[in-house]
Amino acid sequence: MSESSTCQSCLALLVDYVDGQLPDDVRAKLESHFHDCQPCEDFLATYRATASVCRKALERTIPESVAAKLHAFIRDELCNKSKA
Amino acid sequence: MVPSVPTPAALPKALDAPTGSGDGARAVTTVEDSVLLVRAQAGDVSAFEQLVERHQQKVFAMASRMLRSDDDAAEVVQEAFLAAYRKLPEFRGESAFGSWVYRITANFALMRLRHRKVSLTVEEPDGAPNFNERGSLIDDVADWSRDAEEQTLDAELRKAIDGATAKLPEDHRQVFLLRDVEGLSYEEIAQVTGDSLAAIKSRLHRARLAMRAAIDQFYAERAG
Repeated sequence: MSESSTCQSCLALLVDYVDGQLPDDVRAKLESHFHDCQPCEDFLATYRATASVCRKALERTIPESVAAKLHAFIRDELCNKSKA
Repeated sequence: MVPSVPTPAALPKALDAPTGSGDGARAVTTVEDSVLLVRAQAGDVSAFEQLVERHQQKVFAMASRMLRSDDDAAEVVQEAFLAAYRKLPEFRGESAFGSWVYRITANFALMRLRHRKVSLTVEEPDGAPNFNERGSLIDDVADWSRDAEEQTLDAELRKAIDGATAKLPEDHRQVFLLRDVEGLSYEEIAQVTGDSLAAIKSRLHRARLAMRAAIDQFYAERAG
């Protein structure tokens, strides 16, 4: 990362930054930039939030009919196996 | 072709299907699973059925998200539990049963997607931020993070996110789901997909940008 941090150079490192995998000096430069750059700070906040929001939005529940069919399938297969 | 079933002994202990409960509850569940496992390995069908009952929700949810089809997800979950049962004698308990089944299911789901891929159009995900010639961000950026995280999601936002997920290129979508929704580590994703760490991180970043942009657009339209 160059001495002068730009928005572009900082936002390119977001994956490793949010994972806490950047070297200390690079992380410090990013955080200094974010502190001084409101658009980047807001971008970071929404980048971080994206995963948790998507987790909530993409929740799925197994339908009762699917669960019943699964159990019937497992029972049939396992009973056949034990008889064989 | 049947996808490979992860070797139980090779699975890292850290991989545990998200339970939605605290560590204490997870620990109790793991102990109970281990008891059921011993019984299932000894031929107790009802013990294995209890394990299926316990983990079916998590693995079905993952398969449904990955395949975008409840019917396909149902078939994959059946295949995954059956494969797990057949591999039970090799299970040594080095990892949680749930983690193992989770990985088996991901493998089966990816295999099914690869068969489907011939009919998929692959596009680059959109949503990258825009910069000027000096590298400064020129987009209007609103911070909707607190609103989105703290409030119950409304149906329209769910629909927008679901639609944006569907538009992601398949390889980007899978990495995004496995990492950000299912909670797998990069190493685990690499084992499942066969991709390099660099490729996984690159796809994840671009997928996140696309998903972030979709949520951003939702809030912009609602505000406007």
